[in-house]
Amino acid sequence: MHNVWLIAKREYTERIRTRGFMIATILIPLLMSAGIAGTILIAKHSKSNSHIAVVSTDMKLATDVQDELEHGSESEMMVDVISPPSAKTRSNLDAAVKAKDLDGYLWINPPKTSGARPQLQYKQGASADLATRSTVSHGLSNVLARENLVRHGMNQEQVAEAMKPVDMETETGAKDSTAANFAAAYVTFFLMYMVIMLYGMNVARSIIEEKTSRVFEVMLATVKPVEMMAGKVLGVGSVGLTQVGIWMLAAVILTHTALIASVMGSSGSQIAFTVSQVAYFIVFFLLGYLLYSAMAAALGAMTNSEQELQQLNMFLVLPLAACMVMLPLILNSPNILASRILSLVPFFAPLLMYMRISVSPVPWYEIAGSIAILLVTIYAILAVTSRIYRVGILMYGKKPNLPEILRWVKYSA
Amino acid sequence: MPTVDLEKVRKVYDQKVAVEGLTLRINPGEMFGLLGPNGSGKTSSIRMMIGITMPDSGTVSLFDQPFTRDSLKRVGYLPEERGLYKKMIVLKQLAFMGQLHGLTAAEAERRARRWADRLQITEALPKKTEELSKGMQQKIQFIASLMHDPDLIILDEPFSGLDPVNASLLQDTMLELRGERKAILFSTHRMDQVERMCDAIALIHRGRVVLEGGMREIKSRYPRNRVEVLYGGDTTFLRNAEVQEVKEYAGRAEITLRGTEPNAQPLLADAVAHGTRIEKFEVKEPTLEEIFISTVGGRVDA
Repeated sequence: MHNVWLIAKREYTERIRTRGFMIATILIPLLMSAGIAGTILIAKHSKSNSHIAVVSTDMKLATDVQDELEHGSESEMMVDVISPPSAKTRSNLDAAVKAKDLDGYLWINPPKTSGARPQLQYKQGASADLATRSTVSHGLSNVLARENLVRHGMNQEQVAEAMKPVDMETETGAKDSTAANFAAAYVTFFLMYMVIMLYGMNVARSIIEEKTSRVFEVMLATVKPVEMMAGKVLGVGSVGLTQVGIWMLAAVILTHTALIASVMGSSGSQIAFTVSQVAYFIVFFLLGYLLYSAMAAALGAMTNSEQELQQLNMFLVLPLAACMVMLPLILNSPNILASRILSLVPFFAPLLMYMRISVSPVPWYEIAGSIAILLVTIYAILAVTSRIYRVGILMYGKKPNLPEILRWVKYSA
Repeated sequence: MPTVDLEKVRKVYDQKVAVEGLTLRINPGEMFGLLGPNGSGKTSSIRMMIGITMPDSGTVSLFDQPFTRDSLKRVGYLPEERGLYKKMIVLKQLAFMGQLHGLTAAEAERRARRWADRLQITEALPKKTEELSKGMQQKIQFIASLMHDPDLIILDEPFSGLDPVNASLLQDTMLELRGERKAILFSTHRMDQVERMCDAIALIHRGRVVLEGGMREIKSRYPRNRVEVLYGGDTTFLRNAEVQEVKEYAGRAEITLRGTEPNAQPLLADAVAHGTRIEKFEVKEPTLEEIFISTVGGRVDA
């Protein structure tokens, strides 16, 4: 046990002092927040700003549409009004669209009978500009709906009142913090994914490093292979935990300062981590890390170089990537049968069960069940891995094939 | 009470027999040379001695008791492939190795400094391993294997890559350790070193011991049948009845004598009787190299 501690301590102190650790600790949250800020900014400024023309014999309708598209909630377009059109208007507009002076034009033929819907034609230059097309269509229906209401005898205020978007209050509190909680869950999910991935691979890499530098042969003359592996997994894992700890602390401090509140706007409440959320994060992070780093240790012991590891690392990447694929399902319907079963699968549980717990209440026996299954799986994988490790670490030159690996597992007890 | 006692040890990897019927004994205060060409099973044998791998059959005893991992606390090992953490400060690295062998951090550091002083490499202690020359790394590795004052020291190719000055420094240190009643086993390709330093040797060839025993005893098994003469004048003595073969150079002859109990005395008498002027007359014992070649018949590429 003393040896495990020594090895873990060496691994920890050597790693934490590297420039790579410092850079990752500072850079990754910066990149992450830059990414989040970027997405928010892009979302804010993604109003369509195309330049189109509206053609109609009905001057009033055309200017209404122009007004909606230029100053509406979702668009800042430049809109020219041509009313009434002349005989040459259409060919002129076609030429303008072709010359890219204009992004498109909307042709409105007034209804034959009063009260019926007008006949609409929209022609655009770039055929794939879905955003502009949907903005135009959306704006147009707003205008038509408003006209309809006016025609049915409402005044301007009533119309404005009727067209206002609804404001929904959630049951839990006066302030709607669902979005913030959701963001917190999402961020921690990616954090967990990244750190498990990163530090799992680090375990494999550090084993390969000791193989190529032949340090392990000196080590094995005093230390048991299992002790070496345990020390490595614990040491590297503690580095990961330290890093996440620093990030979490920084996140809590930052989100509680006025600066963030002002950047996020008044609606963006603080990203709230509840105590149980943090506790679950730590539990599932540790279990997930143990599971994947044990697998990584086996991969490291089986290979002789970083290149060979690259070929095998799909065994780590695939299950983790599968979690990403299944994420929308878990988020949208956390309590259907499929979600419940998937979050019990040990390779997915650390990420998916954590996500389920974050977004909806999960019965205690399911949580306990997933933790129990994880523990059993981790134990089994560690047992197999330490056997592979025992033999594999002394093998160099030749890459073992599957039957050979199975034989190691069988005979190296 | 032998420090190392291997009894009919056998190890098979897949279909290849690495070591077969290996029996050897090393006593305290004994310098033991393990010789053999590449791939002959030297490293496999050493690995079984220190429990990195287990023999398929036969027994390994260290310090007069069946192998346990506990006895490794008394073994120092310098592997053939040097293994140090490249990015680690040398002093810390040595302290780490010492701690793994049960020393306290402070004691380990103290010993590391003392050894570095003894091997004249103190200036390397605050550096990273990757900044050192190969020879220096070798000395550091040597220190790492001695940190815990082991009673059995196993050195796989300790002299490879050392310049003559450092090689003789290492050699002196090894002899001092033998003086402290440590058992030392080392493998090397250099016959002259083995001849000078070792009390006992084993030659392994294709996984089997083909020659084993004390240096004197092995040499006494082979007849002292070679004579080197520097002379002037009459050459009649070269055709003496005792002579089997002569290589004549200008004023010098290398003579091989006849029989299993050769006698050079009549040759010398013959030369004196014919008035030959003798400048040097030496009856030589066979070199280890010659013994090897005669034992394995030119198959040794060591």
